[in-house]
Amino acid sequence: MSPLATVLRRVIGLGAAVLLSSFAVFLVPFVSPGDPVRNLLRARMDFGEADEATVQAYAEQFGLHDPMLVQFGRWLGRFATGDMGLSHISGTPVADQVVPAIGVTLSLAGSALLLAIIVAVVLGVVSATRAGRWPDRLITSATHALIAIPEYALAPLLVLLFAVRWSLLPSAGYDSPASLVLPVLILALRPISFFTVAVRSGVLQALGSEHVLAARARGLSRTQALTRHVVPHGLLPLWTMVGVWFAGLLGGSVIVEVIFAIPGMGRLIFDAITDADIPVAQGGVVVVVTCAVLVTGIIDLVHKLSDPTVRIGVRHG
Amino acid sequence: MKLGRLSVAAGLAATALALTSCSSTATTAPQAAADSEARVVVANFRAPVSNWALESDDAYVLSIAGCLETLTKYDQGTKQIEPMLATSWKQTSDTVWEFELRKNVTFQDGTAFDAKAVAASLNHVLEATAPARAVNPKTIKQVDAVDADTVRVTTPAADPLLPYRMASVNAGVLSPAAYTKTGIDPMNHCTGPFAPVSEKAGQSLTLDRNENYWDGEVKLAGGEIRYITEGATRATQVQTGEADISMSIPATSLATLEADDQVSVLKADSPRTSTLYLNNSRAPFDNVDLRKAATMALDLPAMAASVYEGAAQPATGPFAPSEPWANPDLAVPQVNIEEAKKLVEASGYQQDKPLEIIAITERAEFAGVAAIIQEQFKQIGLQANVVTKSYGAVEPDVLAGKYDMILSQRNRMIDIADPIGFLQADYTCQGGYNLSHYCNKDYDKLIDQALAEKDQTKRHDLYRQAGDILAEDAANVWLVNEQAIDGVGSKVQGYVQDPLTRYVMTKDLAKTK
Repeated sequence: MSPLATVLRRVIGLGAAVLLSSFAVFLVPFVSPGDPVRNLLRARMDFGEADEATVQAYAEQFGLHDPMLVQFGRWLGRFATGDMGLSHISGTPVADQVVPAIGVTLSLAGSALLLAIIVAVVLGVVSATRAGRWPDRLITSATHALIAIPEYALAPLLVLLFAVRWSLLPSAGYDSPASLVLPVLILALRPISFFTVAVRSGVLQALGSEHVLAARARGLSRTQALTRHVVPHGLLPLWTMVGVWFAGLLGGSVIVEVIFAIPGMGRLIFDAITDADIPVAQGGVVVVVTCAVLVTGIIDLVHKLSDPTVRIGVRHG
Repeated sequence: MKLGRLSVAAGLAATALALTSCSSTATTAPQAAADSEARVVVANFRAPVSNWALESDDAYVLSIAGCLETLTKYDQGTKQIEPMLATSWKQTSDTVWEFELRKNVTFQDGTAFDAKAVAASLNHVLEATAPARAVNPKTIKQVDAVDADTVRVTTPAADPLLPYRMASVNAGVLSPAAYTKTGIDPMNHCTGPFAPVSEKAGQSLTLDRNENYWDGEVKLAGGEIRYITEGATRATQVQTGEADISMSIPATSLATLEADDQVSVLKADSPRTSTLYLNNSRAPFDNVDLRKAATMALDLPAMAASVYEGAAQPATGPFAPSEPWANPDLAVPQVNIEEAKKLVEASGYQQDKPLEIIAITERAEFAGVAAIIQEQFKQIGLQANVVTKSYGAVEPDVLAGKYDMILSQRNRMIDIADPIGFLQADYTCQGGYNLSHYCNKDYDKLIDQALAEKDQTKRHDLYRQAGDILAEDAANVWLVNEQAIDGVGSKVQGYVQDPLTRYVMTKDLAKTK
C-alpha cells in the first residue's frame, strides 16, 4: 500500500472517530433521566429550585428546544469552521477551557508514561534475564500487586506520607514541578505494571528466538546480544501498549485530577457531562480522540521504524 | 443487632469526645504579632464556572475573596442586617425602598463608587436569562439612581425583606469597567479589602491588599483563593500548612483534623438540614399517623454520631435550635418503637410491596443514612428498599410526586439570611420546590402574613408558628442539622466563621510569621 493511501486511511479514520465520539457525547443528555437544563442551572446556582419560566428561557438561549439532529448539525457546521461553540454554563468559548486542559493532561499523561516506560524497561529486562529466579519472582509479584491497587486508594496514602507526614511534596495543585511528582507517580504505577509484564514477555520471547541464538553463535557476548537484538525485539509489544495507555490517560485520569485539584481534561469532561454542558463535553472528547489517534499513529510509525525486520527488508530491497 | 449498632455508635461518640478533649487541652501560646506582609491561602469548595456572572454562585467566590461587597450585610453576631456600602435605608412607600450610599468609597480601579454603578450592577443581574433568586424580576421591578448617593429600588409588591436581599452576594456591586463584551472581569473592579489581580483558570484567584479600602487598614498583604472541590484534599491542605483556612471540611476528615494541634476546627450550625422527605401527596405517607411513626422509629442521635461522625446535630424540627425563629421548646424526637407500631396500625396501612428510599449520590453519606433508616423501619413493620440515584435523574419524578421517600437537604437561608423563601417554596401548597407535596391552608395563611410583616420580631414569631405546624403534621422527618466546619491554621488570627460562606477575607483577618 502506498504511503499516500496509508495517510488517507488514517485521516478518514480520524474523521470517523471524531464524528462518532462527538455524536455519542451529544446523545448523553437525551438518554439520561432528568432534565439537562435544570442540571445546567444547578451547576451555576447550587440550590435546586428554578421555576419553569427560567428553565424555558435558558433552554431557548442555547437552542435546546430544537430537534436533536438540528442541534447536532449546528454543532457540526460550526466545528467544521474550527468553532467549538460556547459553554452552556459559562457562556465562554469551549476552546478557552479545552485548550489549557489538554495541555495540562498531556503533560501529566506524557510524564507518567515516560516514567513508566523507563522503569518498566529496566524491570522487564531484569525480570526476563533472570527468569525463574528471585529477582524475577519479586518483580512479578510487585507488578501484580500494583495492578490490583486502585488509584483512589493509593493517592491518599502517598499524600499522607509525602505531603502530610514528611512534608516533602505539595498535596495538591498544579503550579510547580514538585506538584506534579505525586500525580505522575500515581498515574505511572499501573502502566509500569502492565508494561513490565509486556517487556518481560517480549524479552523472554526474543531470548529464545533463533536470530539471537545465531548471534550468540557468531561470538556476540551476552550483553551485546541483549542490547543489539533482544531488547529491540523485546520492546515491540510495549509500544502498542503505550499508545493504548496514552489514549486512556488523556480522558481517564479524572480521579487523580480531582484528588490533586488539577485542572485537566479528564475532570473537564467529567464535570461537563455531569452538568449536561454538552458543547464542552463534545469539545473535550473530540480533542482527546484526536490526540489519541495522532499518538497511536505516531507510535505505529515508530513501531515500524524500530522493527529490525523492516530495516533488513529495506536494505535488501 | 440494635444493641450492637448502639455500641458502635457509642464507641464512635466516645472516640470523638476523647479527641475533642485532647484538642481542647492544648495550651495556647501567647499571641504573636500579626505580620503586615503576610498572605493567606483559603481552600474553597467552590470553583467559579459561570464566567464570574454575579447571578451565579461565582459571586460567592468573589465575596469570600474579600472583593465583592453589597449595600447591606448580615451580621452573624447580631443576627441583623447592617450597613455596608449603604449607610441607611428606608421604605418610602409599600413598593419603594431608598438606600443612602456611603460617601468617599472608590472601586479598586480608582473609579468613584456611586448610585449609577449600583443601579448598573443590580440591573445587570435582573436582566440575566437565569437571574439570582434574591435579585430577580419577581422580587425587584426596577433599580434607579436618584442622585449620586441615593439608590431607589422598586418592588412588584410590598417587600419588608428587601434589605436582606441587598445583602445577598448576587447583589454585589462592581465598577462599570468590570462589565465587558465578553463577560464580567472582576480583576481590580470591586470595593472590598482585597483586589483580585490574577487567576489561574480552574485553580486559584490571587489577591492583593486594597490600599484605599473605605473601612480602614487591611491587615493582610493579600492571599489566594484555591478552588479545591474535593473535601479530603482541603482537609489535607490545612494539615500540611499549604492552606491557612480550609472551608467545609467533610465529616470523614473531622477526627483527623481535631487530633492535629496545628489546626483549629470551627463548627457552627449551618442552615442545612438533612431530611427524609415523605411524599405527602399519595399513600401511604398522605397519612399523618404513618408520618409520625416514621419519625418515632428513627434514632437521630445515633445517626448523627455514626454516619456524620460528630459533624452534625440531631434535628429538633425544620429549624436549627440556634436560629432566632426556632421553637426553643422543641426537643430531639425520642425513639419510641411501641408507640410507632401503634401509629402504623392506626394508619390502616397494609404493606403490599416495599417502600422505596432514594438516596441521592451527590451526598455520599446518604447511602449510610438510608441503610440505617431501612433497618429501623423494619422494627415497626415497614419494609423499604434503598435506591441510589443522582438528584438530577430523580428530580422530574420527585417534583411530580411519583416517589415514596427521598433523602436530600435544603439550605433554609438560600440567598438571604431569612427562611421565608424556604418556607414558601418548600412547604406552601403552590411552592415551587415542595418536594414533600405538603399542603396546609393554615400554614399558607401564616406564610402570607409573614410575607407582609415589617416587624422582625413578629415575623420570626410567625415563622415559629409555621414551623410548629410542620412539626405537628410531621411533614417530613428532619434528621440532622449539618454543621459548617472550617479548618484554620494556628498562625491565623481574626477569622470569624461564616456559616453562610460569604465573608472570609476580611480586613481584620491576619496571620503571624
